[in-house]
Amino acid sequence: MKKLIEHYSDYTATETAKSSYIKYRVGVIRHEFWLKNRKNKIDFHIDPYDWFIVNNLKPGNTCIYASAGYYLDEVIDNLTVIESKPIVKTFYPSVVICKQQKEIGELFPNKFDNFVVSNSRGDHWANGLDSISEYFDSYVKSLNTNGLIFYSLRDTQIPGWNRLTKNHHDYFLDFAKHLEKTYNLNLLWHDIQFAKKIKDGAGNYDMMENPDTTNGNIKFIFQLGTNSHNINTEFLNA
Amino acid sequence: MKHINKNIKIVKDKNLYQWTKNWKRIQENYWDGNYKIRRLQQIEDFVRLNNYTSVFHVEEVILDLNIPVVDVIEKADLALVTHQGYSRYPLDGIIEQCNRWLEHSDLYLCLNRHYLNIDNKPIDISVNDDYQIAITQWLSAKLDNCVVVDLSRDYVDDGGYFTWACPDRHYFIKKTNQ
Repeated sequence: MKKLIEHYSDYTATETAKSSYIKYRVGVIRHEFWLKNRKNKIDFHIDPYDWFIVNNLKPGNTCIYASAGYYLDEVIDNLTVIESKPIVKTFYPSVVICKQQKEIGELFPNKFDNFVVSNSRGDHWANGLDSISEYFDSYVKSLNTNGLIFYSLRDTQIPGWNRLTKNHHDYFLDFAKHLEKTYNLNLLWHDIQFAKKIKDGAGNYDMMENPDTTNGNIKFIFQLGTNSHNINTEFLNA
Repeated sequence: MKHINKNIKIVKDKNLYQWTKNWKRIQENYWDGNYKIRRLQQIEDFVRLNNYTSVFHVEEVILDLNIPVVDVIEKADLALVTHQGYSRYPLDGIIEQCNRWLEHSDLYLCLNRHYLNIDNKPIDISVNDDYQIAITQWLSAKLDNCVVVDLSRDYVDDGGYFTWACPDRHYFIKKTNQ
């Protein structure tokens, strides 16, 4: 008879290269783009939000953390890709592995002009927005003067809040305002969207989640210390 | 932006749910299939110990449950809903759908707490600040012709509880006028 398991930590999972890759692969939707592009000599596939980011970066050094940023190596100059899972090194050897977010600011103080995190599950869990706020301390430490942070998340992956009593939009916008105050950031741009549910002819609703599950339905761009950078939103609808 | 000698194609990835059906099997394989998610045992025990003999299972993730199933709800004495798509219905839609199932049988409803109120609509009743209690209060208030029994374990979900294999909030719901 099988033993019962309630939580991942109840028993030690098997760790092989294959199982590590499978865990990574099923948890990182945008890895699909790497798989599509790596052997394609004619076309480069890019997600619409990544296209928007690529075209709004400041000149200089860019870091993409825990977001399969290696697939953008072909289109971003001076790119540092940081991931938390060592398995990434097997297919992208130049990746920097930081198992914890706090290592980033220590390893790369005042280094990056752009810092990108798109829908990283490793950021979402733990203590919800409190954890993300803590991680921002490290992200901001890695920023160069007037650097940008592109940060996006999915509301459905954030624990520790009451979805019946809180206005979702206000909850996340208030969080952005908290980050502004705490880290001397300026919110240059944001996009917060939720599903719109309308009955079909048979009286049923679609079963889909919120818009943009790849990148997250909640998106922020902050600038450190100033709000001098202009965001070009035309690229969102390219 | 770096110069690139390829045609740039801006494409939206549409494969979010590509592993959904096998998600429970994928997760169990992390432990070489030697363990069984406790919630699944709970469902099987509930069906057996309460003598349900004809279960209409509304399934999305394949759960490999050992229960006596029937293919149409009209033949069922219990509707078991583990399909997480219903957690992504608007709140009123979930209640409407529960009432449809309850026209035919008792209901064992599994909800994924992280999806509820997917479209950010205010609710018209007062509920507890504790989200887990609030969900039960909301269901009980809206299904006022029913007994609603919360069969869930309470915890702060940190993403490690197999919630996307089998939803975390479990309710037995039965009409009171039957």
